[in-house]
Amino acid sequence: MNWDDLLLMRHELQLLAVILIVTCAEIYLSGRDKSRIIPLSLALFGIHMAAGWLWPVEGELFGGMYRTNGLIHLMKSILDVGVFIVILQAGGWARKQLAPENRVSEFFLLIWSSLLGMYYMVSAGDLLMVFLGLELSTLPVAALAAYEVLKMRSAEAGIKFILTAGLASAVTLMGISLLYGSTGTFVLADLGKQMQGNSLEALGFIFFFAGVAFKISLVPFHFWTPDVYEGAPVSVAAYLSVISKGAAVFILMILLMGFAPLLTDLWVNVLYLLAILTMTIGNLFALRQRNLKRLLAYSAVAQAGFIMLGFMSSQQDGKASIIYFMLVYLFSNLAAFGVVQTIEMHTGKEDIGDYEGLYRTNPRLSLVMLLALFSLAGIPPLAGFFGKFFLFMTVASAGYYLLLTIAVINTVISLYYYLLIVRAMFLRKSDNPLPLVTSDGWMRAGLVICVAGIVALGVASGVYDAIYALCAHL
Amino acid sequence: MGTEAIIVFFIAAVVLVGGGMIASKLLAPTSTNPQKLEPYECGIPTQGPTHVQFKVGYYLFAILFLLFDVEMIFLVPWAVVMKNIGLTGLISAIIFILILGLGLLYAWKKKALIWE
Amino acid sequence: MEKIIFYILSAVILSLSLMSVLSRKLLRSAVYLFGVLTAIAGFYFLIGYHFLGAVQLTVYAGGIVVLIIFSILLTHDIDHQMPTPDWSRVAVAGALCVAGAVMFVQLLQGSLFSRVEAPEQSDLNTVGNTLLNPGGGGYLLPFEVVSILLLAVMIGAIVIAKQRHSVDDSSPEKQAP
Repeated sequence: MNWDDLLLMRHELQLLAVILIVTCAEIYLSGRDKSRIIPLSLALFGIHMAAGWLWPVEGELFGGMYRTNGLIHLMKSILDVGVFIVILQAGGWARKQLAPENRVSEFFLLIWSSLLGMYYMVSAGDLLMVFLGLELSTLPVAALAAYEVLKMRSAEAGIKFILTAGLASAVTLMGISLLYGSTGTFVLADLGKQMQGNSLEALGFIFFFAGVAFKISLVPFHFWTPDVYEGAPVSVAAYLSVISKGAAVFILMILLMGFAPLLTDLWVNVLYLLAILTMTIGNLFALRQRNLKRLLAYSAVAQAGFIMLGFMSSQQDGKASIIYFMLVYLFSNLAAFGVVQTIEMHTGKEDIGDYEGLYRTNPRLSLVMLLALFSLAGIPPLAGFFGKFFLFMTVASAGYYLLLTIAVINTVISLYYYLLIVRAMFLRKSDNPLPLVTSDGWMRAGLVICVAGIVALGVASGVYDAIYALCAHL
Repeated sequence: MGTEAIIVFFIAAVVLVGGGMIASKLLAPTSTNPQKLEPYECGIPTQGPTHVQFKVGYYLFAILFLLFDVEMIFLVPWAVVMKNIGLTGLISAIIFILILGLGLLYAWKKKALIWE
Repeated sequence: MEKIIFYILSAVILSLSLMSVLSRKLLRSAVYLFGVLTAIAGFYFLIGYHFLGAVQLTVYAGGIVVLIIFSILLTHDIDHQMPTPDWSRVAVAGALCVAGAVMFVQLLQGSLFSRVEAPEQSDLNTVGNTLLNPGGGGYLLPFEVVSILLLAVMIGAIVIAKQRHSVDDSSPEKQAP
């Protein structure tokens, strides 16, 4: 092996370097200097993210066990942006809550390890690497969900997450072993060729899919979502709702559209049903939520259903619409979670009722929330509209008009509960609204990036075209 | 090694252990009285559940043991073929050990290795 | 001969797994699980995968069961006896299990894993050479990723388990004269 070839794995190696540097800093620095780790971590990851966007390369390493190309590079870079915003928004929380308890750097380290697992999962050329990446991306998150373990609800979130995640991993592994039993190979490229489309492969695929669907929180596998989002620290919930879900969507896309052509009929039907179920049930449950974190959790479930619409076409447009929607969803959802986090950190309130009259005391936060919610709902000038528009176009061009109708109805339902929050913030008057909340600089920077993303992606039409061009070769 | 050897081993194990137990049951003189069933031969009889809740420290040690157990497992095949595979194998094993060594250092610094 | 051992081991695994699931005492379940994991190591030895058998014994039987037993002993109420579920739940769960098993057996009989090659000779040399081979058919990348996985898990476990200590530590300091 030529050592220069390792440059193909630049993304992973960079992140590994960041992880190792921060671990060394944690070991080296004494207790009082620990708060310096926050700017250090943010700076290092910022450099990693910026350098990650450059020079997309294409090739294989380790005998095809690792592969990368322009599209995979784009997926990783999108995940990078999301993680950067998440840790930026967590900066103030880390300083206020974690620094006194001397566990700042672990928060970053766990998030990054999980991200590294996602890199390897998306880049895997081999089912073994897919599974290993899946594990590496899941296990640290369980620790993160229980990060405030002395709070009962956080501990509960952690235990719920690790139990369901363990079950999902076991089911995935069973699916992989059935696929291996039927085809005799782990290598993804051979897997597609060896498949005969028999029922054993179908069962193996369904098991594998169930494990991934747990991470995307599609409907029969979504029960952990609201409890974990509610109990876990808000940053972790944001991470779960965007990054974790995004990586799982990406790997599903790569496997289904790239390597399992024989099973297309099967999974299109499965996803057709699950998309309807996920959208509808997610939205209907979101209607009755009063706790904002739970509401956002069910909204995330419903959005996952929308993402599944893109799988109806395995052509270029399907892939491009999924990736574009993930990018848009990332900015919108992180903005909403950022506002919730700011309010919760300073006042401890997280119910819709507490947000009444928020506009009078905190006009800027309310405006950010308004933009985020409108983008999630898909109101025209904002990016969210185009994200949904391209997904609907995919469904329409694939000819599933019933599904399209249900999706449009669901968009209207979702608009209702997003507007409930907007009404509470802008129209309701409250005798004792929340006091003025001054967010810290990092959170502000994170929110500004999100808002810029929401507005810019809605205006710039070139982004979708660029993604579309990259999707030509998966 | 044939499977016959294993069978013989199994049978021998069952016969020797089981035979010993049966023989002692048959041959040994027994005397029973209720006091022999007490948990202690002296002191006050215990009341309520006698199990105590373990400290979390045990768990921490167990998990650290498990992690380095796994590391050891992965290093065994490397150690066997170390001479044949040359520099690449050496470097990759060193990276492996260094990353886990960093973990050990971290555990040390976090006082996870101290019994409290 | 091998068949006899295979069926003995299978019977042991099946009965012990059932007992592990059905037992209403946590600690007993863990001990039955230990039996299951050991018997699985027997399978590996039977098909000549000695290294894998040793791994099964050291990691699963030796490490994970100890971990499970420790975590059971960490709970408040070790003697806690799980309530027996009502018969309707048992019936539903049993029916689902039987249905799943029937479906599985049907599927497995239809296709006999024909494409999987017969296991090659797998002594430690082969394992080592394959594990550390960076080229095609080698597993060097997973080998390295495992180290990162272990590091991440170690950090996660320490930061969660140590937290109670740090809080406990801080309170006596405040009370100290």
